[in-house]
Amino acid sequence: MLNALWIVLLGMAIIFAVLGILLLVMILLAKLVRPRDKQEKKDR
Amino acid sequence: MDIATGEFLGFLNLTWQAVAMLVIGGVLIWLGIAKKVEPVLLVPIGFGCVLANIPLGGAAEAGGFLAVLREAGIKTEIFPLLIFIAIGAMIDFEPFLQRPYTILLGAAAQFGIFGTFFLTYLLGDGWLHVLDFSLQDAASIGIIGSADGPTSIYVATVLQSKYTAAIVVAAYSYMALVPIIQPPIIKAMCSKEERALKMTSVAGTISQRRKILFPIITVLVVGLLAPKATPLIGCLMFGNLLRECGVVERLFLAAQNELANIVTILLGITVGGMMSGTEFLRPETILVFILGIVAFSLDTVAGVLLGKLMSVLSGRKVNPMIGACGISAFPMSSRVVQKLGLEANPHNHLLMHAAGANVAGQIASVVAGGVMLMLVPMFI
Repeated sequence: MLNALWIVLLGMAIIFAVLGILLLVMILLAKLVRPRDKQEKKDR
Repeated sequence: MDIATGEFLGFLNLTWQAVAMLVIGGVLIWLGIAKKVEPVLLVPIGFGCVLANIPLGGAAEAGGFLAVLREAGIKTEIFPLLIFIAIGAMIDFEPFLQRPYTILLGAAAQFGIFGTFFLTYLLGDGWLHVLDFSLQDAASIGIIGSADGPTSIYVATVLQSKYTAAIVVAAYSYMALVPIIQPPIIKAMCSKEERALKMTSVAGTISQRRKILFPIITVLVVGLLAPKATPLIGCLMFGNLLRECGVVERLFLAAQNELANIVTILLGITVGGMMSGTEFLRPETILVFILGIVAFSLDTVAGVLLGKLMSVLSGRKVNPMIGACGISAFPMSSRVVQKLGLEANPHNHLLMHAAGANVAGQIASVVAGGVMLMLVPMFI
């Protein structure tokens, strides 16, 4: 039973950690890519 | 075989289990055709079930075509992965990219998987020993909460659960029942004022460069942190890259049409072929279906709870109902929230916000499947 509890706790922690990091990367990507798109529009 | 006694005749070899399964197969076909409940899946599954339970037919016995399909497509995990390429090609992740915070709602809504896993294990080998549920079976049953048929098949197959057929049928059936399961839970947890809360629309569109980078980066991040999820997230994101890169239209169309249709036919009939009376008709199967509802309900509760927290932290800018869409039953869950929002306030259009959480839930459920595959062998 303790094993199952560990799986629950670790599982949710890992999911939040992985998706939290993905969220940070997505926010970073949004900041990095957006200015270049604006520049492209200006060039056009 | 005695010709005089007619032992070669199928109906003389009918057992009560075979009759029951023929009825169940018929009900699945009826649900698909007459009630339009996930017909694309339930019709092939129902028909496969009928074929597998015709005595002396041999379709699902060693060497029979359903057994060959099972060996080639399910046991090798190929069918669910191919389906993921098709799903990736079908999903537009723009609503999520516009609201990346919704990934946290997807994460919270995976609690249904782990909560149900814990409950199942307690009923089985973990404590009560009431039913024959090992750690692997409990994990495979919990994964019904991913609200994602291919993930359920993949995890149950890799963990070699005894209840794979029941798990798959439950996972696909309950996706169609999301409009029935979710509204009472959401209404019980959110007041009318909360349901009426409007969210501001997100300005601007996502550039194609971001849409192309998204699947590549997601595979790298998820794959490097939760490597067991790599086949699932890899196929999902590969399909999405075909969609977004804009230079392989033929492949993109083939993935979302021909590939999706062919694999759905093969997967459906093969899963139906796994529903033999002796394997399917046991008390545990009924409990698998009950635990499936528990999993979907816990998903919804956990998602809405985080939605409420986000609503408070954002100064009431987030409608807590969109948390319920962290479950990856796309697009049914989004439609449920849109409908509830409009009921509470006729000017409250939440569909795109809900869709963001819904596609985020698709990614989260795949990660949850990979995490389960990573953790369970460590504790056996």
